[in-house]
Amino acid sequence: MRDRLFITTMLVPSMVLLILFYGYPIFDNLRISFTDLSLLGMKKGGNWVGLENYRELFRSGEFGHILFNTFIWLTATSVVLRLLIGLAIALLLNTRALGKLRLAAVSRFALLIPWATPPIVAVVIWRFLLERNGFVNEALIGLGLISQPIAFLADIRTVWPSIVVIMLWNTVPLIALSLLSSLQTVPEEYYEAAELDGATDWQTFRFVTLPFLMPAILVLGLMSVFWSFNNFVYVWLATGAGPGTFTNVLATEVYLKAFVDFRLGYSSAIGMVMAVVMGAFGILYLRLVAQRQLEETL
Amino acid sequence: MLKFIAAGLIASAATVATLGLASADPVTITFRFNDTEQEVRGAIDEFQKQNPDIKVDLQRIGWKDARNQFLREAAVGQGPDVAHVAQVWVSEMGDAGATLALDDFLQKDPPPNGFADFAAQDLAHGKDGKVYGLPWTTDTWAMVYRTDLLAQAGVESLPSTWEELRAASEAVYKKTGKAGFGFPAGSSASGAIWFLANFYWWSDGKALIVQKDDGSYALGLEQADVVEAMNYYKQFMDAGDNPQSNLAASDAHDPAIMQALVSGNQAMGAMPPNTYKEILKAYEDANPGKEPPFASAPFPHQPDTKSSMIGGRMLVINASSKHPEAAWQFVKYMASEPVFADHYRTQFPAQNSLLKQIDFGAPLKGFAEQFPFARTWGAYASGPVPIGTLWNITQRSFGKALSGQVSTEDAAKELLAEIGKQMP
Repeated sequence: MRDRLFITTMLVPSMVLLILFYGYPIFDNLRISFTDLSLLGMKKGGNWVGLENYRELFRSGEFGHILFNTFIWLTATSVVLRLLIGLAIALLLNTRALGKLRLAAVSRFALLIPWATPPIVAVVIWRFLLERNGFVNEALIGLGLISQPIAFLADIRTVWPSIVVIMLWNTVPLIALSLLSSLQTVPEEYYEAAELDGATDWQTFRFVTLPFLMPAILVLGLMSVFWSFNNFVYVWLATGAGPGTFTNVLATEVYLKAFVDFRLGYSSAIGMVMAVVMGAFGILYLRLVAQRQLEETL
Repeated sequence: MLKFIAAGLIASAATVATLGLASADPVTITFRFNDTEQEVRGAIDEFQKQNPDIKVDLQRIGWKDARNQFLREAAVGQGPDVAHVAQVWVSEMGDAGATLALDDFLQKDPPPNGFADFAAQDLAHGKDGKVYGLPWTTDTWAMVYRTDLLAQAGVESLPSTWEELRAASEAVYKKTGKAGFGFPAGSSASGAIWFLANFYWWSDGKALIVQKDDGSYALGLEQADVVEAMNYYKQFMDAGDNPQSNLAASDAHDPAIMQALVSGNQAMGAMPPNTYKEILKAYEDANPGKEPPFASAPFPHQPDTKSSMIGGRMLVINASSKHPEAAWQFVKYMASEPVFADHYRTQFPAQNSLLKQIDFGAPLKGFAEQFPFARTWGAYASGPVPIGTLWNITQRSFGKALSGQVSTEDAAKELLAEIGKQMP
């Protein structure tokens, strides 16, 4: 009983800090989301409007389009491609052939460059590359694939794939290197046993490699969902949510409503919706990953 | 003995006071400026030389973030002492309590020729009737043409109607392969399509916001008017004479557009005079000794309508400034004649008396001709919906229409509905 009291007492400072750092901003944001607070009226404060901001958000004609962009383009497409390309690169880097050609170290170093590039720099670099007179257009014209330059970040047919490419360039290396380190933990005997059993390359990958990689893929996948769903930088810096509002996602809508339309209350309501969605992913993460890790530890 | 002690104390106090005064630091004020530092560096240095007890720290921020950054800071008692703001922001900033009312200063220590000498006074007032900003610079937008490209395309005179402008742009694109009227068509909040849309409506005697005879405000456009303007500008995008990449450009100052005009890859642009001056300078630097093949001209208009705005910048003092007197000294100096004569030459002064002395010269002739056919924001500024909100909604709707995200009919409907929702 005394031990329990002692432990509880020792935990109090951490709990107080956690509540102050995380709990207070969330509750304050929740409070603001029930008001009509404006950036022009911050000194006066907002008036209580109850659920009006949420009602307006869910009835807004734009909301479905924004959700689609956030879930399908920003999150699902980028996460799936990130994992697939990351896995492919990790497998390539793990091949013996690359080692024999003494390219393994060089390839890993090359992979570190995009990863070490801050997202803002990555977007600026790609904006130059994708310009009318940029390298990509010149290369495509030079190869005879197109006759006129494409406005990659302004044309609604190319803007989302372009944003996804920028995201992948910047983030795939982390996935690839993480999966590579997992690949290197697969015991060599397993591959030898599979070879003795006459397994094909695909069967070896499917029944030996993949099961070893699955925990890492799960963790990286869920973390990628968090990074992508909340991401503001790539879309905002690449297109400013345009052309029109074609690439508007939840994070850019929060910014647009707060700092362009000055509607802090409405913007907070969008933020709360994002927090709920992220909370659901958080629970999923806890159930699938953290719980398993805890069980393994115990 | 007591006399000696008292004398000693008095002497010590006097010495401390004297030393204290002698070593008193100058008052430091912060000035947040939204254009390039070199435009005002000379003026600030000169001010500090004339006022050794006031030090000015220059901060730089882009126009895109200037307004909300200042509002955020002012709400918590922070921010620069003096800020450079668009004329149309002043009223709402005053109403928000972010800026200091200048009425006392204007009464006790007015600028030469008084406040009455300044243009755009209507925009300097808050809803409470107080003055919250000192008009600093004024300008208007006009059309700028590459005369060599027009000649190659067989366009003999500068367009004076919207139809002629469209035809000239198309002719340039078809006959030279170069861009015609390359305007920034992006949808970001401070973008330029807002201006072009209004110029189109104003030239037809209409306006987005109008004040009725009874003093109330209303939407001054029908859906068909908005659709017409959207369709007009969309033609340039669809036909290709305004490059599709300009859907990602929102600013008249966009480097890609300026460069295209300088290098002769674009024949026409719409811009304020400081942007045009930079283009002329860039051309002269790249082609020393060559006569710049540029001309400026007013936007199309009818004899009794306007087709551009009288815009410009103001200087405001933060409501939380700890040194409002020093800030006022600085504001007054920056609006004085020597600053425009010797240092800040990229802009026109907002005082009518100084404006009259300016020789616009041949390249800027079109801007001088545009001034009589330019209007203030009038009902837009005094109406119930902040100009910033009207601007954002218009930008977004035009961006959607010009990019093909939605039809011009739907975009126009949305624009009017969004603004209508905010009208009382």
